[in-house]
Amino acid sequence: MQITINRNGENHGPYPLEQVREMLANGSMQPNDLAHYEGAADWVPLHQVPGVTGDVSPPVLKSTAPAPTATKESFTPTGEHEHEFRVECKPDFAYLTVQIPANQTLKVEASAMATMSTNMVMKTKMKGGLSRFLGGENLFINEFTAEGVPGEIGIAPGSPGDLEHCYLDGTKEIFLQSSAYVGSGMGVEVDSKWQGFKGFFSGEGLFLLRCTGHGDLWFNTYGAIIEIPVDGNYVVDTGHVVAFTGGLQYGVESVGGLKSLFLSGEGLVCRFSGQGKVWIQTRHPTAFAQWTFPFRPSKNN
Amino acid sequence: MQIEITHQPGNSAARVNLQAGETITAEGGAMIAMSGHLQVETTTHKRDKGSIMGALKRLVTGESLFLNHFTSNGGPGEVIFGTALTGDMMQFQMGSGPALMVQAGSYVASAPSVDMDMSWQGFGKALFSGESMFWIKLTGSGPVIINSFGAIYPIQVNGEYIVDTGHIVAFEESLNFEITKAGKSWMSSFLGGEGMVCKFIGQGTVWCQSHNAGSFGSALGPTLKPH
Amino acid sequence: MQSTIEGAPAFAYINVDLEPGETVIAESDAMSSMAADLDMVAKFNGGFFGGLAKTFLGGESLFVNHFTNNTSSTRRVSLVQGTPGNTRQIDLNGNTFCLQPGAYIASTPEVNLGVKWAGFKSWFAKEGLFKLTVSGRGSVWYGAYGGLLEKEVDGEYIVDTSHLVAYEPQMQLKIQLAGGLFSSLAGGEGFVTRIEGKGKIIIQTRSISGLADWVNPRLW
Repeated sequence: MQITINRNGENHGPYPLEQVREMLANGSMQPNDLAHYEGAADWVPLHQVPGVTGDVSPPVLKSTAPAPTATKESFTPTGEHEHEFRVECKPDFAYLTVQIPANQTLKVEASAMATMSTNMVMKTKMKGGLSRFLGGENLFINEFTAEGVPGEIGIAPGSPGDLEHCYLDGTKEIFLQSSAYVGSGMGVEVDSKWQGFKGFFSGEGLFLLRCTGHGDLWFNTYGAIIEIPVDGNYVVDTGHVVAFTGGLQYGVESVGGLKSLFLSGEGLVCRFSGQGKVWIQTRHPTAFAQWTFPFRPSKNN
Repeated sequence: MQIEITHQPGNSAARVNLQAGETITAEGGAMIAMSGHLQVETTTHKRDKGSIMGALKRLVTGESLFLNHFTSNGGPGEVIFGTALTGDMMQFQMGSGPALMVQAGSYVASAPSVDMDMSWQGFGKALFSGESMFWIKLTGSGPVIINSFGAIYPIQVNGEYIVDTGHIVAFEESLNFEITKAGKSWMSSFLGGEGMVCKFIGQGTVWCQSHNAGSFGSALGPTLKPH
Repeated sequence: MQSTIEGAPAFAYINVDLEPGETVIAESDAMSSMAADLDMVAKFNGGFFGGLAKTFLGGESLFVNHFTNNTSSTRRVSLVQGTPGNTRQIDLNGNTFCLQPGAYIASTPEVNLGVKWAGFKSWFAKEGLFKLTVSGRGSVWYGAYGGLLEKEVDGEYIVDTSHLVAYEPQMQLKIQLAGGLFSSLAGGEGFVTRIEGKGKIIIQTRSISGLADWVNPRLW
């Protein structure tokens, strides 16, 4: 029997069965690579080809998608950090638990607390100013203090997605899309009134917070996080920008010219240039908001 | 062209690496990010096959009116695609098999060698199944990316199999489906909340989505701001 | 009966392979796909009065579906909750477990579903006056929106009311404000549940109300 392998749209072979077995064993082919053999009606995953593997496999996705590359489900920091913390249920419903030393305080976005020790005391503060309204963000921030003895707090952001941690060492500068803020140590400055990026207020809710100072900063996404090292030139839909490092140049533009701005459905994009890092999210909050329309109650009722 | 689906099944993204000169066609609004030098062209139809019917067909199948064509001129490049809702994506390799029927709204992207058309499923089925009256029919060869609300699982039908309405992502054209009751009696089907279901008949694969977007919308709806 | 939970944690669903003569019971509209020759019959959730009690008091559906394999070989039914999120299985061996309203998905026939008085205080937290208990012998599948985390409590712990999914019956629940009156309302935390005792609780890492708080400012 001769077997043809299709990998990423390219055909390889045909190879005899024996050779396919060897290639599978030495890793140069994968069990989920698509295969076609003489007499077969269609392409099937390689491991379903009779004789390739010994066992009878259950029906498997006829897809060349690789195994999930999802990050490990639990994360505890190994690099520099101020508080002990862990992140569980990554990457779809990431949940942050922070240990707070006795009598120390952590800032957390409003209504994100899910669990805490009974000695944690919550105080609500106004944050920002008028700009908060513009950012469509909550006006309040909660400060949780561990009274007397150490305590812990579990934090669940509203949107389904992942969580990222950054340690600010006094020299770094991180720009956050405003609804991405989750929490920070007391030494981190979160400047919501800062308007350095002209033209960034693009109507897509991309309103930036400038984070500087010393300490832990956590931010979250809607969807999974993809970290993109920028070296040169990279384009991101404005609704998918989560955060980026200071020092990157940027510009807001339409994709593919003016016609495409109105027709393409892509809206505005951010073109980043220089060297740095951009964190993007795999889902778009505005698209989700639009999808909810038929399920919302009607004002008339 | 190399396609990698990441972050499955919760918030899948498709990362497409293009060789110099290669093009991938995608649903309007699917692009998340891309290399700075990619060229984007917007049309209402498949490239080189323009017609006003193409645009109308796209509207009735519940897709965006527009398609974007991403071309990597002057060197390799990448483009990342996502979808509006949380959910999975799968890559399907079109080949010598039957045409692929895809639920309205589930098409994400395809190679230029894949042809797209619509397929009429009839009023009755659409009315009772809660699915669209039109399905997207894909033929030709090359990779296709489709998306779902929930994890995707395939069922190889040999005879008959029941899939609840709202859970179908795609099926091979070698299968037929009819609308029927889920339970032993109509009474039981409605009291049990299952109502109508789709019964697939024949031989071929149907890809199901684990979750029903409508059920999730109904759970979330009462907590949302009225319109 | 063989069962597996697939798609976890984002989109968990349950594949139940029924042997000839076996039955699995699931909440209304939980079936996503099944073999065409399985028999599905809707029945009151624990008899007529029991069903009424669970619907009006425990937040569950009035009818449940019984899926029975009357063929001569193994048949599969796939079951799923209405929202994305994770699902867990608990095997009861004469013990009892408490579920928050809406968490129940499916169970084997020897499991009893009941409602218990939860105290007036839980009414303030919009959680209902009753709690759903599962007892007997067999398997129960339950789930919620978000990931599910198991936590051992020894003493006291505070859980935001919308994040509690399930708990062992010996745990005492008390509803209180998250902070002072102003903080509890302006800070968006509202009521929280103080859990006392020694035992296991299950929390969900996202909530529908949290999702609504996130999406509502984007709606117009």
